[in-house]
Amino acid sequence: MPILRGAVTFSRFRVDGGDPSGIDTRRWLVQGLRKKAFAPLDPGCTEEDRSAGFVELERTDATTFGPDLFQGEYALFAYRIDALRVPAAALRRELEQWAATFRVEKGRPPARAERTAQRVALREALRQRVTPTTRVHDVSWNLKLRELSIWAASRKAVEEIAATLEEALGVDLHPLTPSASAKLGGVPDDALAPTPALMGPGFGAREVDHGA
Amino acid sequence: MGREQERTEAAFLRGEVGVDGVATGREERDEAEVECERAREQLLRGRTWLGREFLTWMLWRSESGDPLAEWESAGVVVLFTGRLVLRGIAGDVIELSARGALVGYAEQVRRALDAGLLVHGARLRLTHGEKVYEATVDAEFLDVRAAKLPEVLKEAEDDQTLERLYLTEQLSGMLDALLAAFIRVRTSASWMREIVPAMRRWMSADSGVAAIASR
Repeated sequence: MPILRGAVTFSRFRVDGGDPSGIDTRRWLVQGLRKKAFAPLDPGCTEEDRSAGFVELERTDATTFGPDLFQGEYALFAYRIDALRVPAAALRRELEQWAATFRVEKGRPPARAERTAQRVALREALRQRVTPTTRVHDVSWNLKLRELSIWAASRKAVEEIAATLEEALGVDLHPLTPSASAKLGGVPDDALAPTPALMGPGFGAREVDHGA
Repeated sequence: MGREQERTEAAFLRGEVGVDGVATGREERDEAEVECERAREQLLRGRTWLGREFLTWMLWRSESGDPLAEWESAGVVVLFTGRLVLRGIAGDVIELSARGALVGYAEQVRRALDAGLLVHGARLRLTHGEKVYEATVDAEFLDVRAAKLPEVLKEAEDDQTLERLYLTEQLSGMLDALLAAFIRVRTSASWMREIVPAMRRWMSADSGVAAIASR
């Protein structure tokens, strides 16, 4: 839980749309988060190897989003990603053991189709025994300033969380890049074309055109 | 049509052989050209050049030790410390990573800037009044990585969380203030007339590490 302790790593977004400052903000937010709430993986019932969704900040197996969701001007929650990964080395080892036994019992090596069928069966058996890996990324949202931070180092995770939030809450998240911040400040794009004198000799008119 | 003839016909249609049946020999793209093309894409994607110019401008301005922007009635002093990543779009070197206490102000880095590379990522120390923050930022998203915040003083856990969030917001606010200061300069007439020539002179001058170290 990096919001509470540990390394401070985050990506910032400006939130547009939705109703984060409305009268019933709490209800709107809880409903949205529940729409994309985390559901635990059940290897026995589903073929899915990955599950992801929103959870409470301090109880990463809870999705009720009680009064703790808000602290001051902030909404605080997290995004949990569970994944089941069957170790390739273990699968290969078990498959080789099976092939050796097969050869002794039947007096011939297994055919390609038999090997494939066994690989699927072994993978499923191993999948039932594997413990899912869990990653949790915090989200802090200053509702008053309409600024949201996703506390994750991986850009892929940041983009997944942003897209899920947009879908769940009907908001638009704009990354606060230097260019976007300038635009928010009222500076038109064409006023910020690249500066050729700083870009070195390989920089040409093509890039200036692109910038403008 | 025999099997061999069909094969030759198909190879011709794929452009693998000419009318004489001799292999055309595809033109392989030069590896350096591919690298430069990729570097160009990185520069243009999301208008990353603006972030690179911002960090490079900040490096130049920070050497004086003066506050670069005002945030909540106090100046923000910036020092580049630790690791620095430079990127360019042409030449033999398109990315350079340097490490050292004051590496940003080293002669080698200036020489690379003079050759057309710009700062793409840097570790910054921001001093605001009595509080000191550190963060690694990148030019493309201005994401904050591995930041160090001033010590949290509150004792109750909820208060600690809010204080930590407050300090994080302060750090974000300072970065925004620095960016706003840059954008003001960048959109002014003095950018091309005075600032860029001054930065170019600084890039080609001797090392300023000794001056920074004495601060």
